[in-house]
Amino acid sequence: MLATYAALARLAFQRYLAYRTANLAGLATNAFFGALRAYILIALFGAQTHVAGYSVQGAVTYTGLTQMLLAYLPLYGWWELMLTIQTGEIAADLSRPVDFFLYWLAQDVGRAACQFVMRGLPILALYALFYSLALPPTPWHAAAFVVSLVLALLVSFAWRFLVSLSAFWTPDARGVGRTAWTVAIVLSGFMMPVAFFPPWAEALMRLTPFPSLINTEVEIYLGIVGGPALLGALAGQLFWFLALAALSRLVLAAGVKKLVIQGG
Amino acid sequence: MILGHTMRLYFKLIGIRVRAQMQYRLSFWVDLAGTGLATGVEFLTLAAVFGRFGSIGGWSLGEVAFLYGLVETAFATMDMIFSGFDPDFFSQQVRRGTFDQMLLRPVSLPLQIFASEFLLRRIGRMAQGLAVWGFSLTLTHIAWTPAKLLYLPVVTVSTVAFFGGLFVAGAALCFYTVQSIEAVNIFTYGGTYMLSYPMHIYDEWFRRFFIYIVPSALLVYYPALFFLDKPDPLGLPSFAPFLAPLAGFGTLLAAFALWWVGVRRYTSTGT
Repeated sequence: MLATYAALARLAFQRYLAYRTANLAGLATNAFFGALRAYILIALFGAQTHVAGYSVQGAVTYTGLTQMLLAYLPLYGWWELMLTIQTGEIAADLSRPVDFFLYWLAQDVGRAACQFVMRGLPILALYALFYSLALPPTPWHAAAFVVSLVLALLVSFAWRFLVSLSAFWTPDARGVGRTAWTVAIVLSGFMMPVAFFPPWAEALMRLTPFPSLINTEVEIYLGIVGGPALLGALAGQLFWFLALAALSRLVLAAGVKKLVIQGG
Repeated sequence: MILGHTMRLYFKLIGIRVRAQMQYRLSFWVDLAGTGLATGVEFLTLAAVFGRFGSIGGWSLGEVAFLYGLVETAFATMDMIFSGFDPDFFSQQVRRGTFDQMLLRPVSLPLQIFASEFLLRRIGRMAQGLAVWGFSLTLTHIAWTPAKLLYLPVVTVSTVAFFGGLFVAGAALCFYTVQSIEAVNIFTYGGTYMLSYPMHIYDEWFRRFFIYIVPSALLVYYPALFFLDKPDPLGLPSFAPFLAPLAGFGTLLAAFALWWVGVRRYTSTGT
């Protein structure tokens, strides 16, 4: 069974590998936006050396990490599953002898791995050329960062899966999707670190699953969390994955029950 | 006479597009609100964290909002009027062969392309830009003079023309690659982001590029210095804020020249 999922992941990886020129062009845009975001944060800091736990170097590293994760987590949107519901292709996928959630998760892991290598790592390399980036303060932080990256993908996938299921109920699911991706972009701390928001907004944001997408990894990488809080941060990500995955299964069951596919 | 006929034809064709989009009224308004939200979060986020910093490059939130409001309003207006030249849209027209059909009709080619698409939902982004612009006026207390009042619409229209030039230049590239060029996105979407902040926060080589090669700084930053009565930290001549119409319409004309070269060289994809 595991071999099936591994094969699905590998195929997705290869499928995404095919878009080489698109990747290159996307990379240039990512790098340009990354440079702008670094300029803006440096200018915002001005003469201040530390703001809300971030040094200037930390803030620049933050922009590098977020630009690296942009394609990996596809923060700008993901429509694959939604399209299969809208076209009815989902009927074939549902009848496969694999778990439907894991079927998509395996493919998303392949996609994410490909985009991490093709889009994420080159961005980080470019950043390292132009800026002196901060490094994780201890090997523990570095290891926790890697675990956190994987957990972030799981949370992101469960959220995208759940949002895509809206296509069972509404023909305007694209609008639902666009709104959902926008919400995630802001509340995850992609646009600005969660710690920079006013305390009340920060407290509310931390009650949602979204900081688990971006903010958690950044805070681990920069050493803003450490000690027991570090394990707590990882546990938080795991909790949100399990919660969203459980909810997804419930919603999927309800959607499938409602689904009527025209025979052909 | 001929111009009058062209304009009547244009408005008739655009009217058809608009009516078609209004058929699904609820969808339209949801889309509009969604676009407004998606683009508005950028400024909301900046405003939310601004309190921690107080200023950016010596500029207050209200002053940055002036740049942002001008850029977003002008870009969204352009995005609506120049929908047909949007490289993403135009490259499809070329690939599908719809562009070939236009070449055969006895009507002005740019007119047909302007009339081929008109995305009314861009009003969502425009409204968002105007709201932030209005917000900046309540914070900055601009000392209005007749010259400023007269120059403001000129700057806005020039900025629309400038962004339009970027779309037309991007459309011209479609003749050579038959693929939309993402590099154009750097100048359009990246450009609006860059221009929403005061240019002096960027490095010198970067600023120079966006003054002398792609003159976007002359459209937004320099006029803003004039409206907000700010000194020029970069030391350009004192007439720099008034070059906006030249830079804006100059870019548009140059882009159309490039586009016509592309049209003359164009050989169909055969589809």
